[in-house]
Amino acid sequence: MEWDWNFVWQIMPTLLQGVKITILATLLGSVLAAIVGLGIALLRRSPNRIVSRTTGFVAEFIRGTPLLVQLYFIFYVLPDIGILLPPLLAGVIGLGLHYGTYTAEVYRAGIDNVPRGQWEAAKACNLSASQTWTRIIMPQAIPPMIPALANYFIAMFKETPLLSAITVLELMNQAKSVANTYYRYIEPITLVGAFFLAISLVSVVLLRFLEHRYGRIER
Amino acid sequence: MRKIAVFAGAAAVAVGAAALASLPSSAQDNAKLEQLKAQGFARVAIANEPPYTAVAADGKVSGAAPDVAREIFKRLGVPEIVASISEYGAMIPGLQAGRHDVVTAGLFMKPERCAAVVYSEPVLCDAEALLVKKGNPKGFKSYADVAKDESATVGAPGGGTEEKLALDAGVPRDRVIVVPDGQSGLKMVQDGRIDAYSLPVLSINDLMKKANDSNLEVIAPVEGAPVYCDGAAFKKGDEALRDAFNVELAKMKESGEFAKIIEPYGFSAAAAMSTTMEKLCAPAQ
Repeated sequence: MEWDWNFVWQIMPTLLQGVKITILATLLGSVLAAIVGLGIALLRRSPNRIVSRTTGFVAEFIRGTPLLVQLYFIFYVLPDIGILLPPLLAGVIGLGLHYGTYTAEVYRAGIDNVPRGQWEAAKACNLSASQTWTRIIMPQAIPPMIPALANYFIAMFKETPLLSAITVLELMNQAKSVANTYYRYIEPITLVGAFFLAISLVSVVLLRFLEHRYGRIER
Repeated sequence: MRKIAVFAGAAAVAVGAAALASLPSSAQDNAKLEQLKAQGFARVAIANEPPYTAVAADGKVSGAAPDVAREIFKRLGVPEIVASISEYGAMIPGLQAGRHDVVTAGLFMKPERCAAVVYSEPVLCDAEALLVKKGNPKGFKSYADVAKDESATVGAPGGGTEEKLALDAGVPRDRVIVVPDGQSGLKMVQDGRIDAYSLPVLSINDLMKKANDSNLEVIAPVEGAPVYCDGAAFKKGDEALRDAFNVELAKMKESGEFAKIIEPYGFSAAAAMSTTMEKLCAPAQ
């Protein structure tokens, strides 16, 4: 089997459409994961034990089940109770919820790492709860989280091919469809790998920059 | 001088060896069959799309296509077949990569497939059908009707005949949804995610029977879509194995045993016997 450049150019537009969907799903999924994760982390700290326990249980449940199973559930089972989501939206929700439970742990570690003295000092200065969070805790908690969050961002990006199981025409699915039409796997699948690698490398550079720029704690 | 003689001698031996290797082509042809006999089984690709191919809950492989293949391989001296489930689109690349020895899955003969593999004579013939909601709310009769309605979507197996028929009829790529399996397709029609799901007539009928849902309806046959026949597909280079397969297939067609295997599944033996691989593989006019 030989590499055929003409074939590569012929399938390139189709694959680029898949790349667009892959990037879109990753970006929307990571925004959702960041928000869901923060929500879970804060709710788990709630003084109300019912709230914190319930959130903890739900988060552990989601974290402990495979993403593919959750995607099938969201896409094929929820319509039975009247919730009919378009494929991409279902995929973004699946990714966001699943990775939200991971990022929640990152937030938790970041918040727990702020020295106890900071909380006490805030209290001594008579700062309100929201002032304490936004001015004292978050600015110290977020910078060390950036590398760990970036890690999950890249992991999520590489898990988007799972969305092909719920008929989202992302990069992997487009490549499979191309392979199905021309009976050639070598070019489409190699290109999928190359696209993922290229985008990952670019993201790593951008994330390093973010880390460099915002990752230092000002004390 | 002596050196040259050695060279000449070596060259003569090399030429002789090459001639020897290329000469007994019949023995080499049957190497594949001998290998299958020695290992005691043939690896076949199937799709789990009853009644063409089916895997029972206990893992037993049945369906018309594997049943025919099993009987023929038995006659060729290969006692068992081992099946692996594959997507339609992955079957031919899998065959080329040596993952299967033969595809027996209702992979319909079409010129571009014939160019990629070597087919046996026809085994199973069927027309195409559409699964829609009761009363056919969008009034589909053909793939062209799906193309005309700008909001209509049609589901089909990835790399299957129906996907290509829909695309050829002018349905844009984003309205042809690649559905992983029959059950998912049925569910997506029930949920209204797709307006129609397309499979061969007998497959759709089988799905309908299992689903037992009075809110669905089958449109069959799809207007303008030809009747297709499948055959066992072999890797290029395995022509001898294919020829041996054809000999047994012809004998079974002759004796009526062929009809006995496939007719209980709803397929017509007469349809398969009325045409040939050559006709089905000829490029469309």
